[in-house]
Amino acid sequence: MLQTTPAGDTPKPILQLVGVRKTFGGFNAVEGIDLDVREGEFLTIVGPSGSGKTTLLRMLAGMDTPTEGNITLHGELINDMPPNKRPTCLVFQSLALFPHKSVGENIAFPLKVKGVDAATRKARALELMRVVRLPENYYDKNVMKCSGGERQRVALARAFAYDPQVLFFDEPLSALDYKLKKALEKELKDLHRETGKTFIYITHSLEEAMVMSDRIGVMRAGRLVQVGTPEEIYGAPVDRFVSEFVGEVNTIKVKRGTDGTWDGVDVPGRFTVRPPQDGATLDEAFVVIRPEYMRFLGPGDTAENRIEGTVYNEYSLGSRIQYQIRVGSGAGEKVMLVELSRSRALPPGADRAVTLGWDAADAFTLGS
Amino acid sequence: MKHTRTNALIWIWTLLVIVVIYLPILCGALASFNKSRYFGFPIKIYATEWWQKTLDSIEIGMIVKTSILVALLVTVFSVVIATCGALAFARYDWKGRRLFQKLIILPIFFPQPVLGLALLLGFNAVGIQTSWMTAVFAHMVWIVPVVTLVIAIQVYGFDPALEEAAFDLGCSRIQVLREVTLPLLWPGIWSGMLFAFLLSWSNFPLSLYTTGADSTIPEWLYAKMVAGYTPMVPALGTMATLAAAVLLLVGGLAGMLLRRRAAA
Amino acid sequence: MASLAAASPAAHAPEGTRALRQQHMLSLGARCALPVAALLGVGFLAPLVAILAYAFATPRSFDVFTSFTLENFAGLFDPANTVWVSFVWSCGFALLTVAILAVIAYPIAYGLNAVFGRWSGLISVFFVFPLFVSENVRLYGWVLFLIKNGVLDGSLKWLGFSGGPEVLYTPGITLFGMVYTYLPFMLFPMTLGLALVPRDLVDAARDLGAGRLFIWREIELPLAMPGIMIGMLLTFVLAIGATAEAKILGGQSIIVISHDIEIAFTYSQNWPLGSAMSVVVTLFIGALTLFALSKLDLDRMLGRR
Repeated sequence: MLQTTPAGDTPKPILQLVGVRKTFGGFNAVEGIDLDVREGEFLTIVGPSGSGKTTLLRMLAGMDTPTEGNITLHGELINDMPPNKRPTCLVFQSLALFPHKSVGENIAFPLKVKGVDAATRKARALELMRVVRLPENYYDKNVMKCSGGERQRVALARAFAYDPQVLFFDEPLSALDYKLKKALEKELKDLHRETGKTFIYITHSLEEAMVMSDRIGVMRAGRLVQVGTPEEIYGAPVDRFVSEFVGEVNTIKVKRGTDGTWDGVDVPGRFTVRPPQDGATLDEAFVVIRPEYMRFLGPGDTAENRIEGTVYNEYSLGSRIQYQIRVGSGAGEKVMLVELSRSRALPPGADRAVTLGWDAADAFTLGS
Repeated sequence: MKHTRTNALIWIWTLLVIVVIYLPILCGALASFNKSRYFGFPIKIYATEWWQKTLDSIEIGMIVKTSILVALLVTVFSVVIATCGALAFARYDWKGRRLFQKLIILPIFFPQPVLGLALLLGFNAVGIQTSWMTAVFAHMVWIVPVVTLVIAIQVYGFDPALEEAAFDLGCSRIQVLREVTLPLLWPGIWSGMLFAFLLSWSNFPLSLYTTGADSTIPEWLYAKMVAGYTPMVPALGTMATLAAAVLLLVGGLAGMLLRRRAAA
Repeated sequence: MASLAAASPAAHAPEGTRALRQQHMLSLGARCALPVAALLGVGFLAPLVAILAYAFATPRSFDVFTSFTLENFAGLFDPANTVWVSFVWSCGFALLTVAILAVIAYPIAYGLNAVFGRWSGLISVFFVFPLFVSENVRLYGWVLFLIKNGVLDGSLKWLGFSGGPEVLYTPGITLFGMVYTYLPFMLFPMTLGLALVPRDLVDAARDLGAGRLFIWREIELPLAMPGIMIGMLLTFVLAIGATAEAKILGGQSIIVISHDIEIAFTYSQNWPLGSAMSVVVTLFIGALTLFALSKLDLDRMLGRR
């Protein structure tokens, strides 16, 4: 079972959404989503709670029907196809393991549904247990006696047993502790490679999405705001929502000046600003700078932009240190963040006066 | 869709069963408005005279008083005992809890006529004369376990950390009970009280053997059904049913208010 | 079902707080249980002991604790006696009641969980309320409905038919009365049991390709079993002890075991015989109940977190 699409080719869409909308009693949970899912990719939909990502997933899995729009699988309209007829499978947030069945019986369930004979079922279940790295003697183990990570694997193996063309995941890792979660994220990505299936994963954690995905879609208030590779989402967010969702940022509101520079609105100063990526002409904009692209300027250092401030607080992030810097004064006071590797830390001491600097190429300019 | 058709069938079936459940109660009400002493349908002349006679009867007045007295006492005693029991059932971890849970359910699973006779035998063995007071005790043997379960359901939904927090904030055990535990359990206790009163009010098999010379409404009705039917039987039966319905309605609404206040 | 017990979430409380709680709650729990335990000790166990004592007393006497004989039990199992016939009637009727009620109640229980939505509360009240109306009144209502010149017969005649069926005072109507009386005792445990089936599991099974019948057989039914079992046990046991249905509706066309016991105690004044019968019934019911209860986790059923 190797990757079905050779690298470099543009894979054809396996699943296609056109203008998909879902309304619950007057409330638009999902409004107007267009999306092409490529065969064999690992696509993650991220968004805060209430952004409609679970509703979207339930429609894809067939547990809800779209109010409007079309969902097609391999070009076939599947809007009203019930979940038991769809060649797709969902790994639930709760995992939904059957508590009255053993590990093996859980995994073999889809085969039993299909009427596969008992011996073949067992052989296939054991094979899948090897794939998800469960020991063979777990076959008869009570599924409720398994640990969190083991249950995770059972749920995965059960989904694979169904042999779906597309696998959906509804934040299945959210209940696990950090270390296990990290390990399983990598395992899931490996499994994706090994099986070559199409994975659609939803989560509220962008960190999780970044680790695993080929592409990420960011959702907000029922809409897909941006779809792109992790690099695109991180490096070229389309708006402030996406940029802030991806991580902590410094935002400065600016107004177009007369001489090609821009004037700060909420922070005093004149700034050199990179033109917006989408080429729009703006009179007002937001400059977004990630804390790790900010630096402290010493007496001889230069940068395209600079702001004066005082150190207010510092936080250790392990290998890195984050500083909170107060800039401006009175009503115009604002806090900016600077992140440095530990080796470049400032000498300790609060209320130190500092100069912040960054280059225009390291920031992005957004209209909204 | 196939789904909606199944749902429609379930609705129809349920409503049909409800109609069947209430059909005999309606028949009783109908019979009580018959002017003639003997029942025949369709009723030729409707009249309220049997209701009037029932209300005027001194004998029935006494029986109603006995029924209310028994039900009230059962309610008061049962709720106190059952609230403690529910805490032991659902709230605290203690050694005998599993066993206690199972033993407390046994009386509910026991046929009431046999329980009534066993109690009669017991009273007789220790030389207690049966009267409405022994009936209160007999009712409690069956009703306390039921009420315990009703209150236990409320106790299950109650976060023990709240009590611990109150202790931590300096409350004494009594203060915790008064300020935290009881207010939060009120909706369950209230339902338990309704159950206790209404189950005692309608109980027949236990009353039959344990009231001695006294009599409750269901006993009187049974005696007259077997021998000496008059339309006063359905009249009193309908009145007792209406009283229960009104109590359930008023009590249920009060309970809903309690719940809403507890949730607010 | 034993595996369900192991799933009890109570076991997952953090070790520290649990130990702490146990330390000062141990005696408190027992103290809270005391009033109930005392009541049931005096009001439930003691009378059972009294019955047991009477069961070994000389027949037709009141010499309790002074004589010991097995004569009463010998009489029960004597084929010349009719007691065993009553017992068979009771058991048979109880089994039929359970079977019929399971079929009647299941769609309603399912509806209360998954179909009626916000109407569920009101519909439940409609099914609870009959418990607060004496069974005499309700059963007598059926007499008024079915009796000659009653509501059914009278209506049919008035419509020009020859009259209603003569079903009153037959064994069949006794069975009907039992089904009618014990419906809530089947319905509510069943509803509770069905509520224990997580929605996710049904969705997951469907997603894995299972059809409705398959889901019902493999997922819903096994997981709802604890509740259904309680409902069946409760109705079976109560139906074994039923007398009013046979007396009021059945017109004593059959004699059930509880009726036999009553006759022994009242009409024939043979307390030792009545006690012996009660002991047999009690043992039968007690064994059945304890066996079933030992397989159930009440904390899970009633929702302890």
